[in-house]
Amino acid sequence: MTTGGSEAADRAACASCLRRSWLLAQLSGPLDCNCRADGRLIDLLALGDDELMRALAGRRLEELRGRHARFQPSELARVDGIAEICRHDRGYPAALRAVGVAPTLFAAGGLARLMGLTARPVVAIVGTGRATDYGIEIAGTLARGLAASGVTVAGELADGIGQAGLTGALEGGGAAVSVLGGGMDVAAPARRRPLLAEIKRAGVAVSELPCGTAPRRWCAAAGTRIVAATAAVTVVVEAGDSARELAGARVAQALGRTVAAVPGRVSSRASCGSHALLREGAQLVSGAADVLELLCDCDRPAQAPRDVRLQLEPRLRTVLESVGAGIDTPQKLIGDGAESGALLQALSELELMGLLARGDGGRYVACNALDAPAVR
Amino acid sequence: MLARAHTFTIEGLHTRHVTVEVDVRTGLPAFTIVGLADAAVREARERVRAAILNSGYEFPARRIVASLAPGDVPKVGAALDLALACALLAASGQLPRERLDGHVLFGELALDGEVRPCRGTLAVAQATRQAGLGRLILAGARAHEARLVEGLDVAPAQRLSSAVRVLCGGEADALLARTPDAVGPSEAWPDLNDVRGQDHAVRALVIAAAGGHNCLLSGPPGTGKTMLAQRIGSILPPLSRTEAIEVTRIRSIAGSVAGGLVGERPWRAPHHSITTAGLIGGARRDSIGEVVLAHNGVLFLDELSEFARPVLEALRQPLEDGRVAIVRARHSTIYPARFMLLAATNPCPCGYAGVGERCRCSEAELARHRRRLSGPLLDRIDLLAQLDHDAGDDLGSSAPIGSARARELVTDARERQAARLREDGVTLNAHMNAAVLRRRVTLDERGEAMLRSARERGMLSARGRHRVLRVARTIADLNASGRVRARDLGSAIALRGDAGLAGKRAA
Repeated sequence: MTTGGSEAADRAACASCLRRSWLLAQLSGPLDCNCRADGRLIDLLALGDDELMRALAGRRLEELRGRHARFQPSELARVDGIAEICRHDRGYPAALRAVGVAPTLFAAGGLARLMGLTARPVVAIVGTGRATDYGIEIAGTLARGLAASGVTVAGELADGIGQAGLTGALEGGGAAVSVLGGGMDVAAPARRRPLLAEIKRAGVAVSELPCGTAPRRWCAAAGTRIVAATAAVTVVVEAGDSARELAGARVAQALGRTVAAVPGRVSSRASCGSHALLREGAQLVSGAADVLELLCDCDRPAQAPRDVRLQLEPRLRTVLESVGAGIDTPQKLIGDGAESGALLQALSELELMGLLARGDGGRYVACNALDAPAVR
Repeated sequence: MLARAHTFTIEGLHTRHVTVEVDVRTGLPAFTIVGLADAAVREARERVRAAILNSGYEFPARRIVASLAPGDVPKVGAALDLALACALLAASGQLPRERLDGHVLFGELALDGEVRPCRGTLAVAQATRQAGLGRLILAGARAHEARLVEGLDVAPAQRLSSAVRVLCGGEADALLARTPDAVGPSEAWPDLNDVRGQDHAVRALVIAAAGGHNCLLSGPPGTGKTMLAQRIGSILPPLSRTEAIEVTRIRSIAGSVAGGLVGERPWRAPHHSITTAGLIGGARRDSIGEVVLAHNGVLFLDELSEFARPVLEALRQPLEDGRVAIVRARHSTIYPARFMLLAATNPCPCGYAGVGERCRCSEAELARHRRRLSGPLLDRIDLLAQLDHDAGDDLGSSAPIGSARARELVTDARERQAARLREDGVTLNAHMNAAVLRRRVTLDERGEAMLRSARERGMLSARGRHRVLRVARTIADLNASGRVRARDLGSAIALRGDAGLAGKRAA
């Protein structure tokens, strides 16, 4: 069964589940008013249809009830290539059933692929939308390593960590499940279209809202819930201390899944949420191998890491170590005693080897040496 | 009776020879000018009449027709007054007609008969010499400017009567006290050693000055981008005589020269509200754009991302070709515009990208900022001078280099370039095209390997490769090295211009 498969096969959702999706789209506005309060949105989404209407519909209650009773699946706009699956189907991702009123999924990329990807171990990579270079680097490296090991990476199609994780998973050989805020056919904002197209080609993209629904603020938090619920392990790469940035970890905790976090600098505001999680007992991970260990509950392969850094000339190693220690702009390195020409040459060579990358404001960022491709 | 005088009119940066023919006949008194004259030329009738009468000559009360030939070229400005008045005097028998031949008359007349200086004197002097028309009679205030043209006979005249005296074979007026030719940079530029704690950016600026490379200064607010840019003039070598003449000619036509040769390199820093026509020229028939005024000098665009997108796009032709072709409904002109572009920008809209976690710009804002700058313009910027936010600790430290020393280095490097590129028709590394680059820049094996791996990593496009090679060549010149070594190339890659924007990797 592929995207181009028979129509009946791609419509694996029952009428009552489609009605639920329709109702969520109808209540999108009121839901938006409730997404600020900590955890309230998740509770609302776990309510049954009637309770949800009573809680949110307000003056529209009677009208909405009437339309709800008369609902026909044909009322939903349908787009070619977008499959539907609900919790009553056998192929529905098992892990996602744990969510109260498990959402109907609208998926691009084919149901078969969705089933295939979620049948494998799934790791969610979540975190802040305003990631630092460090966070983006780590999220990408982690996802690359996991995807290369045959693990499915789930993430939100959002700025920052979500985008970095999905990009990394695609680079690592596919196996990416991305969750969209709005309807599948509403690609917003436009700058994410290339990544979305790439995901549709190699992985799957899912949304719980019917086609044509515009994304709203609450959709992001709801999407995080699907990402975390799909996965066996949720890795928080970089998160501040706001409820929104920790939403993924909270859902995973509530479902009793493993939560892991990547530490940042202790002084970094962007990582204080991750640090709080670690203090609460989340697992500390520093690379794909740690996550695999958590996932498979097995020992790390007894293979010494091949560290490119050890093979570097001393002059390059000094520069790389300085950058790692936070002396990361040419100006500071010169102040540290390096000669300008030699320094710039070393920086370029390290950049060409993939050990350094350019960050914001002229900064250099060290890339993970274990994952760097061999020196050409 | 008919008389004929010679003069020039300015057309863009060029001149057109104009023959002023005046015919005086019996008939009802009238004074008509024909030959596509603009308002300033038509008003010449009143000026000429008053000047002739106030100089003690007689204004013929007859029918006067003045024709400006060629008749299909529009004539602008008041500089035709002197030629008109002298031709009129000759036509009315107050001056021997044949004396007008062998003279070019150029100047505006005041009502009391004084000859006033006009814009474009140098261009007219050059044209007179080129056309071999003989002696140039012009206002005394601009005689020094005309004297810059070697082998030209210049006769300054303070008043209409002195011009008539010169035409009749008498003495010219004495030259006014001479303003010295200001060849060489003026002392007004601030010194580079005021800039502390930004050694890296200073070095990038010196490289840019040495090779004439376009350079982007990027850094958080308050780190000294503008301060650094304002010191570029103090490290550029003085104008050569040819360059100085070109600059003086442009300034003279723009009307902003006081007399004598312009010595310092042009420095134009238009505000970011500038329009395309203001930057490129062509707003009016004779308006000259900032890029042309910056010819042989520096065009500084502060807050680059605030400029309107079409304005920045319009810079592409001058940056590529070193000239602008302006085509309007009734005229088209080519202006020289070979300048060094110096631009300054914040790394992101709030300015604090890369400074700890101070940057609060959203992804959308960053994307907009990038879109403003990226693409064709950034593609033509060879060098990125990155200023560091944390350099404040070093404010007390010694300056890396003073302007005098930097100018020595730059001048030496420029001499080396000029010697090497003599046969290629360019003088600066920044102006080498692909063919010249292939001929003049060879890399050792290690350098070739670096370039190859940069291309394979997608760090350099074909154009990016050329930019890196040009900059590497300049760095080698600064080090007085005949070959481009791997170190020079490595520095050029680290300084390449397209890596200066925030959030590029996340995109």
